[in-house]
Amino acid sequence: MTGSAGTVITLLRHAWSRHRIPLIPIALAIGLFEFLLTRLAPAPNEVNWISGLMATMPPEVRALIGNELAVTPGGFLAIGYAHPFFILLLATWVVRVSAAAVAGEVGLGTLDMLASRPAARWTLLVSGMKTVALGLAAIVGCGWAGTAIGLGLRSLDVPATGLLPVAAMAWLLFTAFGAVGLLISASRRDGGQAIGWTTAVIAASFVLDYLARLWTPIARLRPLSLFRYYEPQVILAIGVPTRAVLVLAGTLVAGLVAGLALLARRDL
Amino acid sequence: MAPAIVTTDLAKRYGRKQALAGLSLRVEAGEIFGFLGPNGAGKTTTIRLLLGLLRPSHGTARVLDRPIGPAGTATRAEVGYLPGELSLWRGFTGWHTLRFLEQLTQRPAVDRDALLDRFGLADADLRRPIRTYSDGMKQKLGVVQALQCRPRLAFLDEPTKGLDPLVQQAFYDTLAHARSQGMTIFFSSHILSEVERVCDRVAMLRDGAIVAAGTIDSVLASQRRRVRIVFRAPTDSSAFDRFGEVLSRSDTRVELLVARTEIPELVWQLSAAAVDDLTIEPLSLEDAFLEHYR
Repeated sequence: MTGSAGTVITLLRHAWSRHRIPLIPIALAIGLFEFLLTRLAPAPNEVNWISGLMATMPPEVRALIGNELAVTPGGFLAIGYAHPFFILLLATWVVRVSAAAVAGEVGLGTLDMLASRPAARWTLLVSGMKTVALGLAAIVGCGWAGTAIGLGLRSLDVPATGLLPVAAMAWLLFTAFGAVGLLISASRRDGGQAIGWTTAVIAASFVLDYLARLWTPIARLRPLSLFRYYEPQVILAIGVPTRAVLVLAGTLVAGLVAGLALLARRDL
Repeated sequence: MAPAIVTTDLAKRYGRKQALAGLSLRVEAGEIFGFLGPNGAGKTTTIRLLLGLLRPSHGTARVLDRPIGPAGTATRAEVGYLPGELSLWRGFTGWHTLRFLEQLTQRPAVDRDALLDRFGLADADLRRPIRTYSDGMKQKLGVVQALQCRPRLAFLDEPTKGLDPLVQQAFYDTLAHARSQGMTIFFSSHILSEVERVCDRVAMLRDGAIVAAGTIDSVLASQRRRVRIVFRAPTDSSAFDRFGEVLSRSDTRVELLVARTEIPELVWQLSAAAVDDLTIEPLSLEDAFLEHYR
């Protein structure tokens, strides 16, 4: 295959060569984590006991865990898709791949080897976006597979397919962060800087969402956090909110377009 | 045939620093063009501008009859490049690197085997990760990747850096072979002897501007000659000062730098003097280079 499509595939293989080693343990860890949650989740007849336990927890912890839906088996499993461990591993993938796509290659001095070839600049970013998205699909897919296997072994009256929209929204959230990360990567000259900035954006977004749920004076700021548009327990209870999909998809597209425009104009 | 490279008033500024100031040059197709200058003169900036990695602050350029710029993928498909500061992916093997860059070039690596053979890169070497390579091996791999797809134009930035004399010879043979195939080579270096040896024409760059350009013979012809005069007895040699720059003087000898056009008049003048020995040395490219950068 020749032309830009061939270039993107070649660059995808290149990214796979660079990132495949961390992808496997991340995906396995997520899968194992979600599987373990199916072992720890309250059975339908234990819900009252868990409700009592939740009532004793401080509001800071309850804000982190989620709303009253968390005491149901499905709600408990949904926690696994918003747990800091889950967030951390997905963020690790997003930060690593997006930072490496442009800024990492500039920092290593290898970007000249790519950009002096007949590879249009946009192919660097698009292949980076695809690597982020495919890797996230593999990681989130492993997580869901862990849930599905666990639910196959222990009946909690929760269909595994019910958690698919949650997994899909987790993928969309972090793919949107990936686009932001690629925008940052396209503007930096060193992988370390891109890692730092992208990590800061994700962490700030997470902290803002958490604090805005706890502290009324800043509650109005919550929509500024992308985590506001990802509430696994709500998705499980009432479905995927259209507005959340639009905001996350819009962020993804805007980040990617801005990154492409920036990369097209900058010196490498 | 259209020239391989034409630049007109090409300039690049980084903030307050003028890296390249109004470069105008023309490189003909099929020639080996030496691009000379000390570190920081603007050689690498020029190459990176011509490859579309940098955006010019001013001026225009055409490479292989197409305008330069980030969108110049058609041009880059026909170009090979060896960066001055070669960086490769440390975890990749030599084979992986060559094949990956071949795929990215989207042209078959028709000359790879011959180049590997010429540079003595064995299969066992290429199976090892690049982090285990010496600097010389990395540089050999860099030359191979730049030329493996038989580009129409190759930008080689300090290509012999780190190569031992035997491999340098193999490199010169490679250049001769490439030229015989019609390849144009833009050869950036500050090793004057090799430029003098392999290049058809040269341009000397200083502070981002060309200070001399042309065939090596014409560049040398435009330079002053080193003239050493030894007199039979102590002589007042100040009469010769008007012919050029006095480098050294004693009672019985004087050494001058004299323009080529002044040589006949100087010799005529010397015929009346008690001269014991006279040496008129053609300048080497190195002398010419030093004269421009002193």
